[in-house]
Amino acid sequence: MKKFLALFLVLALMVPCFAMAEAVNPDDIADTVTSADGKYEIAFVTDVGQLKDKSFNQGTWNGVKAYAAANGKTYKYYQPANGDAATDDDRYDAMKAACEAGAKVVVCAGFMQGTALAQAAAEYPEVKFVFIDGWAFDGLNNVAGIAFKEEQCGYFAGYAVVMDGFTKLGFSGGGGGTNPACARYGYGFVQGAEAAAKVKGVDVEVRYSWQYGAAFSASPELQTMISGWYETGTEIVFACGGSMFSSIAAAASANDAFVVGVDVDQSGESETVVTSAMKGLSAATEWAVAKVFEGTFDEIGGKATSLGVAENAVGLPTETWGLETYTVAEYEQLFADVLAGTVVIDGTDLFNDEIAKVEFEKVTVKYE
Amino acid sequence: MSFLIRQTLIYAIPLMIVALAGVFAERSGIINLALEGIMIFGAFIGVLFVRLVQQWGWFEAAYKAKDILGLQSFVFLAMLAAGVLGALFSMLLAFAAINLKADQTIGGTALNLLAPALVLFLIRLIANQNTLQMAKGDSASWFMLKESMFGYGVGRGVNKTPSMGFLGQVFVNKVFPITYVCILIFVVLAIILYKTKFGLRLRSCGENPQAADSLGINVMRMRYIGVGISGALAGMGGFVYAMTTANCSSDGTVAGFGFLALAVMIFGNWKPLNIAGAALLFGMFKCIAASYTSLDINGDGVYLLKNLGINTNLYRLLPYLITLVVLAFTSKSSRAPKAEGVPYDKGAR
Repeated sequence: MKKFLALFLVLALMVPCFAMAEAVNPDDIADTVTSADGKYEIAFVTDVGQLKDKSFNQGTWNGVKAYAAANGKTYKYYQPANGDAATDDDRYDAMKAACEAGAKVVVCAGFMQGTALAQAAAEYPEVKFVFIDGWAFDGLNNVAGIAFKEEQCGYFAGYAVVMDGFTKLGFSGGGGGTNPACARYGYGFVQGAEAAAKVKGVDVEVRYSWQYGAAFSASPELQTMISGWYETGTEIVFACGGSMFSSIAAAASANDAFVVGVDVDQSGESETVVTSAMKGLSAATEWAVAKVFEGTFDEIGGKATSLGVAENAVGLPTETWGLETYTVAEYEQLFADVLAGTVVIDGTDLFNDEIAKVEFEKVTVKYE
Repeated sequence: MSFLIRQTLIYAIPLMIVALAGVFAERSGIINLALEGIMIFGAFIGVLFVRLVQQWGWFEAAYKAKDILGLQSFVFLAMLAAGVLGALFSMLLAFAAINLKADQTIGGTALNLLAPALVLFLIRLIANQNTLQMAKGDSASWFMLKESMFGYGVGRGVNKTPSMGFLGQVFVNKVFPITYVCILIFVVLAIILYKTKFGLRLRSCGENPQAADSLGINVMRMRYIGVGISGALAGMGGFVYAMTTANCSSDGTVAGFGFLALAVMIFGNWKPLNIAGAALLFGMFKCIAASYTSLDINGDGVYLLKNLGINTNLYRLLPYLITLVVLAFTSKSSRAPKAEGVPYDKGAR
């Protein structure tokens, strides 16, 4: 009888364990694991900014952790030395450390890792590299470049906020005006605003700036600048760059104004977030890493893959919908139109002040 | 206009109180170069306090009920914690400079090097990242006064209730009340330094400690007190900086505000009133640099500074350029406390 009771109790305890394994919150998976043999099979090399930036780095890292946890792999993250001022050498050193520690796949986040990655990939041909927000290299079949069509989710966000009644928008981008992903986000955002302004017959103003965003970090200056925008009428700002979000959300909160989040659904970070232009970082990372261990890496190796609406890799968060008059149904219709090709979005990278030279009918871009 | 004044105050208050911290140390005869380091440490302690208390959920009810007094006492406690720990941290300098008679410049520099390293190390242990943030929410929604709390400017569009007048806009709306506490502390301490027996004794230790000793003043004790007050003020200043300009986060830096405060102290000639003026000047230029495109001084909808078309980088240079120019012109007439930087030696004549 006792044995049965014990067995029953053990089973009763195990049931919730299995139930929990189904939907794991990535934050509940440890960031560091200790490997018995000192080898870490999946490595992640971060972009500038912190690991837990609640945005780009963290989104990619969650994908790594999710795959590793579900498949019992060991994993480890490497932050290149010198933080925001990391050089190609620092990044190469981080990748080398990862390869030396037995990595089978190294996930590198951010286009700035390109040079270091080419060097490391040539040196360790047996290790696979997943280059998020990156491209492919000639002759390096162990590198998979994975990029996103940020202009599409930027477009959705711009369209949605203008349809929701906002007419004075702001765009504060990271990377100092030379980051391709941020440039696509920004251009898409303005195109979306233009399209919605035409539908509603209103004039829209967009303040557009790369100031104080070069290092994707929060700063008092950025907070003051965005406060100034809100004070002078700007209603909503697209916070396009990792930890910059913190400064922009603080300014928005102080002014009872609003923010559009980036990369991941940021509505949980601040009440000021009405929507977020998301790209499926976690899912794409998980998908690419899985290919390495399933032996189908050749499908993406040596190639540049660009993920967009067709792969359901970009979009707005429909579960935490914060918009008042623009509905999920309308958004889904727009999504379908983009998918069908009836709505065409220009995906050109417009760096620095190139956006100011584009002609729009209903949108005035005030480049600062 | 109200925006410029408000933002200027936000930048000026930490500068002012940290410069006064420098005054207390130097007036007692110890050069406190460690202001930057103590600020970093104080900011870290304050943010950690806020984070922990939020995690324990102590003030959750006050936040839900929008209880202004409750939340303000919370942030005041955090500032107090930053002050106490800042004073403790500065004791390292006091011990090296007073008991060991070490070189004060090197002691201060050592603390400046130690603080960011120590703080980053602790942040990585606590949060596994490079920035320590609040456990939930942001500084503005927790600790800032807004006109909407008093029924002004509520709602969107035509239904919006009228906003506060000019004075309300400047001094009540979007203000962190701890900045006023700082001003109060500044005034009280300035009076203590100049109008009380204790203040006179402290200053005498920085001018001629031998003479002070001959009159029965314990120079060592006075200098410990001077450095302690200095550390407390710098720690509080660091937290106020983190709260008002960095969204209550700590990442092992205060953007050179400690060094700027040293410049403000010298420019202000080690006198409180001048220091307040100097801090306001620097604060204003910092504010102009960051937000010149949105500044509309007379409210006519014309953005003069933006329309001038001057390069952004020039505006960003301004605060530092002004510091350089002003110091070049005023340093001739400025007079530091005579015995500062000299370890006290009873036998010297």
